[in-house]
Amino acid sequence: MSAFLKTLFGDAGTVAVVAIVMAAEVSLVANDQVVSAAFAIPSLVLVGTAWLARR
Amino acid sequence: MLDWTIVVPAFLTAAVEWVEAFTIVLAVSLSIGWRAASGAALAALILLAAMTAITGGVLGLGLDIRWLQLAIGVFLLLFGVRWLAKAVARGAGLKALHDEALEFADTRALVARGDWMASWLIAFKGVLLEGLEVWLVVVAFGLHGRAWVSSTAGALAALLAVVAAGLMVQAPLRNVPENAIKFAVGAMITAFGTFWTLEAVGGAAAWPWGDWSLLGLAAFYALGGLALVVLLRQRSTAGATR
Repeated sequence: MSAFLKTLFGDAGTVAVVAIVMAAEVSLVANDQVVSAAFAIPSLVLVGTAWLARR
Repeated sequence: MLDWTIVVPAFLTAAVEWVEAFTIVLAVSLSIGWRAASGAALAALILLAAMTAITGGVLGLGLDIRWLQLAIGVFLLLFGVRWLAKAVARGAGLKALHDEALEFADTRALVARGDWMASWLIAFKGVLLEGLEVWLVVVAFGLHGRAWVSSTAGALAALLAVVAAGLMVQAPLRNVPENAIKFAVGAMITAFGTFWTLEAVGGAAAWPWGDWSLLGLAAFYALGGLALVVLLRQRSTAGATR
């Protein structure tokens, strides 16, 4: 079962990165910053990728 | 009519997973024979096909497209970020490259410790777990834009290509440039995930260039990933010489 869940969701680090990205998306959209989100979110995803790669 | 923007990522993702599944089945076949190992693989493939059909049917039952897009986008982000990070780490030398020969030897050692049934289950579970990621991608791409034929065709073409190559060489497929494929697919899938989640949360106006933004995102992640490889490699070299 744990192998199944890990295949679907990845490890805790991956889940944390995606959760932060989603929280940032919701927060930017809620604050009427949709245009900024289109530029900020990809950068945030790349920062998260760098963090995951370095672990 | 096939949508090649779906066929290509589905094919590449599936190819990487099928190569890993083939290595496991090949290792098991040396212990319990080709027929039994292929039977285990076929059983797993039938289960995956049933899962694809059921999920496709359930998710297509009039659900709000924005919720679907959000759910699929989150899964693609989870999957894409993981692959991109892994490929960057391997490219930068922070992590060892995936070695099919090592995987083959590990599975052989595992099979040697068990009986016929345990070996059969290793092949079944191996194909099922590797195939789960293929299932995710086929469902995700299939649902968006109703591109079921294209996403399934990509995954099936990859399966046929890997089986044909495997039967020809009858050894683990070591020469497949797995990390390069993982890097490219990771960038593409992360781009799709970012695009769909923000469009679901912020509406269609979220992306200034509409669908063309997808291309920009894929290029951004590919170039950004390459920059990360260089940066992390320099850091690890500097750390080693210190």
